[in-house]
Amino acid sequence: MEKPRIGVFVCNCGTNISHIVDTEAVRAHAQAQPDVVVATSYRYMCSTPGQETIVKAIQEHQLNRVVVAACSPRMHEKTFRGACRHGGINPFLFEMANIREQCSWVHQDRLAATEKAKSLTTAAIHRVRHHRPLNSLSAEMCPTTLVLGGGIAGLTAALELADSSNDVVLVERTDALGGNLARVDLTAPHLDSARDLLTEKLTRIASNPRVTVLLRSELVALSGFVGNFTATIRGPGGNGAGPERQVRVGNVVVATGYQEFDAGRITHYGHGKLPNVVTSFEFEQMLRAGRIETRDGRLPQYAAIIHCVGSRNREFHPYCSRVCCMTALKYAHELKSANPACYVSDIYIDMHAFGKGCEEFYKATSEVKTLFLMFEKNEHPVIRRAGPGEDCDMLIEVNERLSGERIEIPADLVILMVGVEARSDAAEVARLVNISQDREGWFMESHPKLDPVATTTDGIYIAGTCAAPKDIPDSVAQARAAAARILARISKGRIEIDGVFAEVDEDRCSGCRICNELCPYSAIEFDEGKRRSHVIPAACKACGACVAACPSGAITGHHFTAEQIHAQIDGVLA
Amino acid sequence: MATNKLQVAIYWGAACGGCDVAVLDTNEFILDLAAAADIRFWPIAVDGKYSDVEAMADGELDLALFNGAVRNSENEHVAKLLRKKSKVLVALGSCAHMGGIPGLANLATKEEILLTAYLANPSVEPGNQTIPQARTAIDGMTLEIPYFFKRVFRLADVVDVDYFLPGCPPAPVQIRNVLLAVVKGELPPRGSVVGASDRALCDDCPRTKSEKKLKAFHRPYEIVQDPTRCLLEQGILCMGPATRSGCGVRCPNSNQGCRGCYGPLPGVTDQGAKFLSALASIIDSKDPKEIDEILAGLPDFIGLAYRFGLPASTLQRSYR
Repeated sequence: MEKPRIGVFVCNCGTNISHIVDTEAVRAHAQAQPDVVVATSYRYMCSTPGQETIVKAIQEHQLNRVVVAACSPRMHEKTFRGACRHGGINPFLFEMANIREQCSWVHQDRLAATEKAKSLTTAAIHRVRHHRPLNSLSAEMCPTTLVLGGGIAGLTAALELADSSNDVVLVERTDALGGNLARVDLTAPHLDSARDLLTEKLTRIASNPRVTVLLRSELVALSGFVGNFTATIRGPGGNGAGPERQVRVGNVVVATGYQEFDAGRITHYGHGKLPNVVTSFEFEQMLRAGRIETRDGRLPQYAAIIHCVGSRNREFHPYCSRVCCMTALKYAHELKSANPACYVSDIYIDMHAFGKGCEEFYKATSEVKTLFLMFEKNEHPVIRRAGPGEDCDMLIEVNERLSGERIEIPADLVILMVGVEARSDAAEVARLVNISQDREGWFMESHPKLDPVATTTDGIYIAGTCAAPKDIPDSVAQARAAAARILARISKGRIEIDGVFAEVDEDRCSGCRICNELCPYSAIEFDEGKRRSHVIPAACKACGACVAACPSGAITGHHFTAEQIHAQIDGVLA
Repeated sequence: MATNKLQVAIYWGAACGGCDVAVLDTNEFILDLAAAADIRFWPIAVDGKYSDVEAMADGELDLALFNGAVRNSENEHVAKLLRKKSKVLVALGSCAHMGGIPGLANLATKEEILLTAYLANPSVEPGNQTIPQARTAIDGMTLEIPYFFKRVFRLADVVDVDYFLPGCPPAPVQIRNVLLAVVKGELPPRGSVVGASDRALCDDCPRTKSEKKLKAFHRPYEIVQDPTRCLLEQGILCMGPATRSGCGVRCPNSNQGCRGCYGPLPGVTDQGAKFLSALASIIDSKDPKEIDEILAGLPDFIGLAYRFGLPASTLQRSYR
């Protein structure tokens, strides 16, 4: 190994670091360490002049190692790796010491913070001596995409990809496309027909030769990694043991949607027992059939809509299902337009009308003489059968919050606004495509704000209501975002694989298989013939789980070798 | 002493004698050794005194095999003596290599050990108050015996060791191979582990291995074993994945989990920690309560994972 020539660059971060840490003392301390050829401090290392300082120093002093003592590597590791590359050295011959988040931002004692900053910088100097140049790899990107779920999100993603001349395999479990949207009559707040929205998509899907639609089919296995997945899909027939086919795909869009909350779980609403208590989806059926009527065929004189059935409730789901408030207002509209004499009561907790045009829709609904009654979260209205002398079928008692009174409302028809929840088979799907679920069962994003359609498994994207409750525009936007992400990757032709990954030394692997089940990214394969395990670099995220677990020390985490970590610890203790 | 014969010494420090027996277990080969070598010093088999060794010239011995750990000043003295007198010093067996079974004494203090051995043990004559002292004055004279160290050391902690031949005891065939290599001058670079594989035991173990998920640990008598399947997968603790092969898979072939006596794989410093990390990784539960229940099946983890290597580990000993 060539003799290390280390340059150390200490950042003041304006005054973010220097108001607590004596950066000049850190610089002088670094300068005194063996192999350190140059040590500089600067106001903003990440600025263009800051980066130029690094580039110039690399060239002037023939540096072969660089340490920047500044902020978190999550913030600027990429920036400084770039500066190293510009200076002409491999970007991995660089190490960052975090003297902002770990020093100046969390300490008030100037002396102690400065000592800690010196220690962390020394640790980085010790570590960087053992850094090795790493190069990224590349692999082929198969342009075919697998879309799971034929609802509005899946259809949209499939069309977006196919319209750009890419093959799509669209797998749908049921015998028809359309998903939950196909069960809906009009859509809030513009009262467009759901059927119209869908028909346009379905026609385009049917006429697009790029899309292969597999109905009554399901994914049963997915192996490989981004760009190079093999999906095993089981077709219809044979009582769940239909013929299987294998398809090579580069990416997967998971758009498996939601299921409605089972209203029967809330016994006091009497769904399934009181004949005229229906769920929102049962009411949609009436709307689609064009007949709003009670079970015995009467026109309801009094209709009541109850919100948050299963949602925003500590017993069932704590979250807001997002679509029910506007759907409830839509029902008020539809009830009134079918029978202007109908008394409509809307029994709600809060009215969530945050979408585009939604607040206006709320206002318009209150103008068509809907009676709004507010009840307390975690309380519930009580429904009972009306007595023989009453002119209605049922009576609903509500502790009305705004008036503070207990109010009794007549009803011939009660519509329960059932919430949406993760599908009961979501865990199985998550396991198949190797993504995570949150505590409510929704699929998890790579980052909830900044990376909402990607997942922690490269090449697997989520769109629509399988990730969280959302309305049609949001589902469509996500589907298109997922498609755009995939198109961007397909257009590159190959995928770049980061140089940091775990590698099994086959000369040391004994084939004990302890690592096999551990990888959260399914990046480890076992070769039955050789009896050795092997890490697929493209699928590896360098989390280190297998490196720590390998009892033979046969797995190396590049850039996180035992030698490098020990050197870092020695540096802290030095 | 002018001779072409190989000049050999064999010594035991804190040891059980098993390594010496393993040397004898090379069977007829020992006769070839006796023919090819002068055994200059071997307390278990040959009459001799320390002063005989002290009288040798430095480097006069071609080979010294030191088995046993370093527990007291006598072990240390002879280790240093043999180092000085030998061209090649081999740490023979787990105790010399890593501290071995005697190394588990590092979980207790010197005082606790002496208390148990001489005062509190049920087999001690009631009323005994005598604990051995390094110096004792009797009749105006001072008697000296070796003194007991605070902790157990492995051989490499007190002298430079040329080769490590692991095992409790080392497989006789491996001892034979190493002795032949010394005779032929075919030794690898100094500091190497010899007479063992660079791969884990699993590589040589004939049992079938698949992916591992553990819901419970069992002692071998508690379950009916599948003799063809990986022991660890059946919940029987087997150190095989964390242990060098070379023994001939003695324990798993006898339906017992590997005890780890051949020590860690190359590049691994702490065999017990590595095994712990591996085991924690394959426990199949995310529920803290269930995990506690599973772990209750490991009554003496340190006695398992550090059975042969505590003094060589990151822990080294308990500090109290």
